[in-house]
Amino acid sequence: MGVTVLQPFPVLDNRTGPQTIDFLTKRVMALGAVQSGQFLVDCDTYVSTPSLPPQRTVHVVHNSEHPASVFAVLENGPKTVPLVADGLFDLLMLKIKNIYPKKQPKIESKGPRFELADFCIKLGSVTISQNFKGVLVEVEYRPCVVAGYCSGLMREFLQGFLGSCVQGLPPYLQNRMEEIYQPINTVEQYLEHFAIYRKPAGFAM
Amino acid sequence: MESKDWGSMSQLVTTPLEQITTALNIIPNQEYLLQGSVLDNAVEVLLHRLRGLCDNVDTSPEPFYDHEMCFTIMSMESGTQPQPLSLRVRRATDYPDMPFQLRYIGVPEGTGNNARPTIVRSSIDIGTSSTIVEFLTELGCRLDFEYVARGYMFRKGRMKITVSKIFKLNNNGKPPDATEPISQSYLVELSVLAPSGQDAIAEDMRNFAEQLRPLVVLDKIDVKRIPMSMS
Amino acid sequence: MAYSVNISIEAPVENQIQEITFDGQEIYQTPLSMSESLAKLAQKIDFSKTGYEELKRETEAIDNGAEEENASKDNFQSSIWPWDSVRNKLRSAYTETCVLADVLAIAKEKRYLVLDPVQQEQHDSKSMTSIYARKKALAGAGSVLLTGAERLRASQTEAARNRAVPDFHIELLRLRQNWRLKKVSNTIIGDLSYRTAGSKFAQTGMFEVTKAEEESDRPNSPPPSPGANAKPASALRVSVPSELQGVAYIEVLCSQKDQEDLCSASINLQHSNVTTYGADVHWQQRLESAQNVLFCKELFNQLAKEAVQLHAPIPHMVVGNQIMASTFPGIQLIIKLRHSTGEGEKKAGHKSDHDHVLEHSLHQLLREVHHKNTHHPFPHPSSAPLGPSKRRALAGPTAADRYTLLEMTQSETLLEQIIKQAQHFFTRMRTEFVLDSIVKEVKDPLIVTHWNALNSPTLSCVKINIITHGYDTVCRTSLVIQVGEKMLKCVCRDGKVMHMSYEPQELRDLIYCQIYQHQIQAVQSLAKCMGWHYLANSSHLGIGAVEPLGNACSCILASPMGDRLIAVRCEPQGGVLVSIAHSPKKDFFSGQLVKERKWENLGGGFKEVRWDKMEGKNFLNKMELLMASLTSS
Repeated sequence: MGVTVLQPFPVLDNRTGPQTIDFLTKRVMALGAVQSGQFLVDCDTYVSTPSLPPQRTVHVVHNSEHPASVFAVLENGPKTVPLVADGLFDLLMLKIKNIYPKKQPKIESKGPRFELADFCIKLGSVTISQNFKGVLVEVEYRPCVVAGYCSGLMREFLQGFLGSCVQGLPPYLQNRMEEIYQPINTVEQYLEHFAIYRKPAGFAM
Repeated sequence: MESKDWGSMSQLVTTPLEQITTALNIIPNQEYLLQGSVLDNAVEVLLHRLRGLCDNVDTSPEPFYDHEMCFTIMSMESGTQPQPLSLRVRRATDYPDMPFQLRYIGVPEGTGNNARPTIVRSSIDIGTSSTIVEFLTELGCRLDFEYVARGYMFRKGRMKITVSKIFKLNNNGKPPDATEPISQSYLVELSVLAPSGQDAIAEDMRNFAEQLRPLVVLDKIDVKRIPMSMS
Repeated sequence: MAYSVNISIEAPVENQIQEITFDGQEIYQTPLSMSESLAKLAQKIDFSKTGYEELKRETEAIDNGAEEENASKDNFQSSIWPWDSVRNKLRSAYTETCVLADVLAIAKEKRYLVLDPVQQEQHDSKSMTSIYARKKALAGAGSVLLTGAERLRASQTEAARNRAVPDFHIELLRLRQNWRLKKVSNTIIGDLSYRTAGSKFAQTGMFEVTKAEEESDRPNSPPPSPGANAKPASALRVSVPSELQGVAYIEVLCSQKDQEDLCSASINLQHSNVTTYGADVHWQQRLESAQNVLFCKELFNQLAKEAVQLHAPIPHMVVGNQIMASTFPGIQLIIKLRHSTGEGEKKAGHKSDHDHVLEHSLHQLLREVHHKNTHHPFPHPSSAPLGPSKRRALAGPTAADRYTLLEMTQSETLLEQIIKQAQHFFTRMRTEFVLDSIVKEVKDPLIVTHWNALNSPTLSCVKINIITHGYDTVCRTSLVIQVGEKMLKCVCRDGKVMHMSYEPQELRDLIYCQIYQHQIQAVQSLAKCMGWHYLANSSHLGIGAVEPLGNACSCILASPMGDRLIAVRCEPQGGVLVSIAHSPKKDFFSGQLVKERKWENLGGGFKEVRWDKMEGKNFLNKMELLMASLTSS
């Protein structure tokens, strides 16, 4: 487990989602990366019933990189509590489905996974109930666990195959440059981006 | 979940919830339980007997020192009265690096006069990170009570036997300081966690409990029917 | 008729005891009905036997004997009515009382009758009867005791007779102390398998315990015992299933392709390979050897299963009772299950180079598996489920990634482990051989090897010191070689780490290289002591003839005055070459090109010293003498 950067990649108007993924795949392969299966990050969101004010939200995230774990992030107003648990946590959510019914459709990021020396690259296409929303590129640099120690390297590597859409490290990491990077940090980055993808859909409705 | 699944996951990615639901019948989610108690002055004899009966006579009994917090949350079933749902969080104070254990325990069955040899209750055991207490609090759970359990555990095949003394928590709430025992006796529990439908194990438990008589009488104890004489 | 007497009749509170059984239980008589008991009680009253009656009888005998006779006559009259005797007795009593009253009335007047005490002799006779009764009772009790004693004596003699043959039950008790037994209907079944110790081998290790039969029955007993002793030493016989009889052991051979055994280790868990086949052997040995057979079978079974499943570059082969696994190119590890049931086959000339370490490891590996099967970690906190290891319990909450989880599922099989150990054994042996041969070959710097006593089955360590006799404080080169399974790792004093394959030539190169580097370094340190300067050195000299092994080393030294130069070249093949040069040149002649005298300071050509003609015990000694002579001259 190392420092992970999550970077959205803009989908051009003349390209579809799969085409964008193909395009990036070719670039990554050209760098010498080797595909090693698929990956999946999915998120279920549960919102508390009005009978239990104030309204709280629980995001339950699974990451295929950590197959034995379930990540949960509870949002109660400004306060968020992260939790990492065994896979059986999903069963518990079923038990409290009367209090926390599932309100929003499942959002997931899914696609090929590549390995290139110490880097692990994942090209994910984000979908909300099968509707394509965008492309999220996840790059992990495994040997390092402090973002501050490898920020330059990461930025350069990302710019190397994503181009000018990478300005620098994302703000999430900028705020945590000196902390030890934890798997929950990856999940929180995904949640931030998922929230952005959800919002326009909310406006559309 | 079999450990080999992870190897194949690189080829095939299924959503974990699908895996859970398909694996539901192999997850050990039923707890078979027998309970009893023994007075302080008789516990040594019982421990001695358990050492002889249980696996690995050569090793000394495994001590434990746990802190348990019991939370409840009101479950709003539409159209029915709110049902309290209780969630227990337990942590090993003597093993601070081990995960916290979150536990959902269902309604016990078999406490009445029916034919089941032991109490059977559904149980979900989840290892979690230490943020669980805060998580539950923010989730809307209320802390009902907490206590410290200290004692020894044994195993015999799939059976787990715990002999524990229950302590009250002092006002300052720091578990290691809890020194006031709740009673002059030890709680003895014999339990097996198994997938549903494995009722044969209950008979084994009965037989084992029989071997502990008359040092301790392990039986189906209905907690709801115990007269609450204590203040 | 003057007064009446009240008679009260009462039933006893308890029923009468009819019989007391041997266990102390009392059998009671059934209680009588009211009328029955009344009749019985009434019958008990013997009106004629009271002392008063007798007195009266005597007085009557004096006075009116006839009347009394009448009364008694009435008594004897048998009657049909149950109350008849009572009535009669009461009537006679009444008559007698009336007579007595009359007699008393007469006696009172003291005119016709005087009452005198009568001497009574009855007491004597009564004591006699009681003594007689007691004597009889005592005789009865005595006979009971005698019969009891007789019975005890009989059983005692029987037991004494049985003691010649050891007691079955005592033996059974001893058996029970060491082996698992249970009673199934009328037979005693034992279990010698390693199940309780954590084995998961399918084959059962059941045996039956029977009482040893008499001599006549013995030929029928399942394993016929040729040349048996006269009597079985034990009252107990164990019948072991035929597949567990005999002696088994696992033989491990490491052989090269041409079948020449490099080493052989015979894994014999039971060190007594003396015949333990016959039925006469004590049950303890029989059971132990049967258990050993079972263990060997399990071990071999496990290894064979793994050999089939493992995907090695050169596939392992399982043929019959033999597993062949490749360790190094051309070298095979052969594991054989040897199981002999008959006495006939005797192992021909067993290999003497028995490797106790390999023997122990194979034994240990399966025991470890057994131990792991039974010793699971306890969960903490105590409510957590039993079963998952500590690492697995932590995996979820600490979000272990899939590499860690995959790693967790991988474990080494027994075969892989034993192959590794065999490989290490080889690599170690080769390393030993290479080092020993170099030590023998190279006399000048002394090479001291020191094998660490503490090592693991797959890793050992040797420390090598290179010193020169007499100069060991001047220079010492030390290096450590870690011998692994298929590779060697050399760590030098200066922190250089070199990895080598299992090929012995690489190690040879390295050691030779180290030897000559040592020589050059030693010369340099010696030069420092002697006040010489060293001008240049190279540990891998690129000039000169190409060496088949390593590279040549060289150095150039200058005398304290700077007028003499010594050049040393050490090469594995050619040994040591030492040349000297003088500056200024001793034989400088100005020629056409170099005319001026100053050029003589440039130093002349090196001239080789005939090293074998030099005096000195060893290289450094010679160097010291050379430097000394050059400084002084």
